[in-house]
Amino acid sequence: MKFGALAAVQMVSFSLNPGEILGMIGPNGAGKTTLLNCVIGIHKPTSGKIFLNQIDITGMKPHKICRMGLAKTSQIMEPFMAMTVFENVLVGALHGGRMRMRPATEQTEKVIELVGLKQYAYKLSGSIPVPARRRLELARALASGANILLLDENMAGLNPHEIDEALEILKKIRNSGKSLIVIEHIMRVVMGISDRIIVLNYGSKIAEGFPEEVVNDETVIKAYLGGKLSSLKVA
Amino acid sequence: MNFKIDRIILIIFLGITAALAFLPNFVESEYLLRLITVVIFWIGIAGCWNMMSGYTGYIDFGPVVYFGIGSYVVAIAMTKYGIPFFPSLFISGLISGSVAFLVGIPTLRLKGAYFAIATFAFAEAMKQIALEFDRTFSVSFFQGSDGITLPISGHDNSFFFYCVLPVTFLVVLAHYYIEHSKFGYGLKAIKEAETAAEISGVNTTANKLGAYVSSAFFLGLFGAIEAYWITYITPSDVFNVQKTVQMVIMTLLGGMGTFLGPVVGATFLTLISESLGARFVEYYLIMIGGIIIVAILIMPNGIIGSLKIRKKLRFI
Repeated sequence: MKFGALAAVQMVSFSLNPGEILGMIGPNGAGKTTLLNCVIGIHKPTSGKIFLNQIDITGMKPHKICRMGLAKTSQIMEPFMAMTVFENVLVGALHGGRMRMRPATEQTEKVIELVGLKQYAYKLSGSIPVPARRRLELARALASGANILLLDENMAGLNPHEIDEALEILKKIRNSGKSLIVIEHIMRVVMGISDRIIVLNYGSKIAEGFPEEVVNDETVIKAYLGGKLSSLKVA
Repeated sequence: MNFKIDRIILIIFLGITAALAFLPNFVESEYLLRLITVVIFWIGIAGCWNMMSGYTGYIDFGPVVYFGIGSYVVAIAMTKYGIPFFPSLFISGLISGSVAFLVGIPTLRLKGAYFAIATFAFAEAMKQIALEFDRTFSVSFFQGSDGITLPISGHDNSFFFYCVLPVTFLVVLAHYYIEHSKFGYGLKAIKEAETAAEISGVNTTANKLGAYVSSAFFLGLFGAIEAYWITYITPSDVFNVQKTVQMVIMTLLGGMGTFLGPVVGATFLTLISESLGARFVEYYLIMIGGIIIVAILIMPNGIIGSLKIRKKLRFI
């Protein structure tokens, strides 16, 4: 993916297996978000291809990709402010899940229950605290019925207790048979939850493998973790 | 989501419309009947603008173009091809809607001020086309600045009352549909955050186009009715930007993207300019300007919009 002459992400190739949680890490500006935005169709890649179950989805419109089962949560939270939490999630179910009003309402209720947003359901989404908004992003993506969820720093700004709760939710989602790609800076999260990790730096993939392999990789330590491994706590 | 209250509001609205249908039997004064017709007419037109701009947040600054197209289609169909009024009326709506479809595909990609400028430019361009088309191509369609005189209808005021009422009824009913449907949630999501809507599965192009075309369809109907009512149209009248401004102000006064906004805004503004206009012939426009400024300062979200926020209502 190039923006003008600047190549934001290049020569990155990776795959996601069914039921897997793939962690994606890398320093700021490494191109993680850009990469996922290419996958869900917000950016059209200047070269390269993206396949979903052997179907080429490169350059498809975002709404089509979403309806095919690929949903992303944004790092910059964008709730539909003038709508209630319930209505926000409902949009995902109605449009992303291509449902009629009644089944969409039922789906919304289920998803809100799952992510634990029940107490905020009828509040305006602009008026709820940040942790709840993060969950709302997740709920909206879930409501579309997507099998693959891309979570772009869905836990940024949460305190350790809230992170624990969020991790529980992610595990529940994984156990329901969905695959996830998780971008996260919080190492405890990435290490604890990922089956596999890929590391990006300056728009290229510099490492891929199991969590314990990646943290011991020399290039990764140099580029990202920045020095001694002893300072890193692996949960 | 309290659908019960919404249903009650809908039933009240249906009841009022049904009661209005009998109005011409009771109103003796022709003036009063005309005034009521004008109010209903403006509720419908403001509603057309609200359907598109109020719900999607795309500020259309040239809706009058579809009104004008409706006027011209009905005039040409009736005078040149001798088609009776009601079929012509329907053709007007269809042609306005089709033009909106073609114009919407490129312009709805534009955002914010650029969309407003493009729609405004299109409306002005259509006015020039209507003025110059005949002379340029040596044909006789729009009659340039001479305008077109439609067949005198010979109908009384209640005829036009019954023309306007069902169309406005449909426009307001469309608002109710928007507020409670998949389509409407798509529009509102586009207004709040278009990219987020897109990645949540909303087909933004189709939804915007749907709103734009339906708004144009109804505007075409209103344009056709007015042309038949006034019986004489010129490009500078039917494509007058003042009509656009009035739709916008009425909707803003009532509340953008609300069910009752256009109803309240149009009624308020029409009645106030009528009553002030009769009493203070020379100063009434200044007074209306002042009232609009004060109203917007006190209620930045419009009458209904502010009420909605203050009372924490989801639908009104």
